[in-house]
Amino acid sequence: MIKFTNVGKTYDNGTKALSNIDLTIDNGEFITIIGLSGAGKSTILRTINRMHEITEGVIEMDEVDIATYKGKELRNYRSHIGMVFQSFNLVNRATAINNVLTSKAAKMSTLATLFGRYSQEDKIHALECLDKVGLFDKAYTRVDQLSGGQRQRVALARTLAQEPKIILADEPVASLDPVTAKDIMDDFRRINKEFGITVFANMHHVDVALEYATRVIGIKAGEIVFDGKPEEVTEDVLEKIYGRKLTSDELLED
Amino acid sequence: MKQSTLTLPNGKSITKPKSKTPMILSVLFILIVISSIITEADIAVLFTKADKFWSMIGDMILPPDFSYLDDIIPELIATLRMSVVGTFFGAIFGFPVAFLAAKNINSNEIVRFIVKACLSLTRTMPVLIYAMILTFFFGIGEFAGLLAITIFTFSIITKMAFEDLETLDMGAFEAAISQGSTRIKSTILTIFPQMMRTYITYTLYCFEINVRSAAILGYVGAGGIGYTLNQMIQLRQYDKAGMILIAIMVTVIAIDSLSQFTRRRLA
Repeated sequence: MIKFTNVGKTYDNGTKALSNIDLTIDNGEFITIIGLSGAGKSTILRTINRMHEITEGVIEMDEVDIATYKGKELRNYRSHIGMVFQSFNLVNRATAINNVLTSKAAKMSTLATLFGRYSQEDKIHALECLDKVGLFDKAYTRVDQLSGGQRQRVALARTLAQEPKIILADEPVASLDPVTAKDIMDDFRRINKEFGITVFANMHHVDVALEYATRVIGIKAGEIVFDGKPEEVTEDVLEKIYGRKLTSDELLED
Repeated sequence: MKQSTLTLPNGKSITKPKSKTPMILSVLFILIVISSIITEADIAVLFTKADKFWSMIGDMILPPDFSYLDDIIPELIATLRMSVVGTFFGAIFGFPVAFLAAKNINSNEIVRFIVKACLSLTRTMPVLIYAMILTFFFGIGEFAGLLAITIFTFSIITKMAFEDLETLDMGAFEAAISQGSTRIKSTILTIFPQMMRTYITYTLYCFEINVRSAAILGYVGAGGIGYTLNQMIQLRQYDKAGMILIAIMVTVIAIDSLSQFTRRRLA
């Protein structure tokens, strides 16, 4: 369980990225965050694994203030949180399995990492994770030979190999075509249901966000302006989040 | 000068700006003349003494002393050995230092500043000067030349590599950090695979340059074939000097082709 209490973030130059964020995320939820570019969607996600530090308030994970983690504790904390990115953030010159194996390095020595001495169990587990996203056959294919959807699946497998409690997804389908986007979202839903992993994703496409989420958070200028079930997201709510009405062609059609 | 103006059917017109090329060329010409006056370089000598130049070339290659080849092969090998070993060590030492100089990898500004200042300093001197200085410390011979090549390789490969590092995509690095890897491990996992080929390419490129400079390091006593070349020219044994030059040329061309072939394969 993650709990935000009165969280705020101000950048050094004085720009306010987040303010008065109060939020409780229960295990197993599928939450999507919607809002304009620059509203703070990405920032809120990154405060959870402390890729971004907050300047006000407290974030607790299972009742421990995450700001107290330092060095090794922080790295250990991060190793239980998965992250998926819009641009996949894979090593394109490496094979799929080697990309998945990078998630095992957190628990290895630097020297073992340098020589790529992964244990047999780690390799088997990496292959199992690739199998879970349907890419078992592509294990030894270099990532730059894979399609966008396949690349995002490699990134998903890499995240699964961490055995995370929660997956943070930063615009996971924004650079994919609509059909592939749905496939990837289906993978997220399956991972959420089958393994009980919490999914916390920020999304560009409102209708995809509403379709897959169990809970939707609307954010505007760094503040939460809506928090509720997808069914409760009406046109008025969208107007509040985006500042004006959305036309039908601004939604991703089936 | 003719100015071209283009007019659209709707009356809008645009004038192409004047070309600056003639101006630049004339300034360049004036600068060359001025500098030749200041340095007292007599350009005319290139034409008046041309026959002497051609007769010397003639002595060298009509014909070269082919029997001399056997004597210079060991020196040619020594020259290559200096370049290979020097390039290798320069590249090895340069590798970690390039990371220390790259802004996106090393976030410590003070360390970065010191490293970059030292690197700039090592780049100020040409390889021949290094060789000369090193012969004072290590005596006449191959070892001074090898060290000079090591330092020279180090100085340029670090510059090329850290500039390359700073343009790399840091996405995978961010992902590795988010999974709980240290910065060092994240660098190994995500930056090494991205930059390895380029680094090897740079090493080969340095090697090409180094074979050329190794051939003249002998002039300052730092080993290799340059020493003998200098001697033969001073003794006016132009047929032997010609043989040495041909041997160097063939070697350089062979190494360049091999290196370029390898680099293309790596790209």
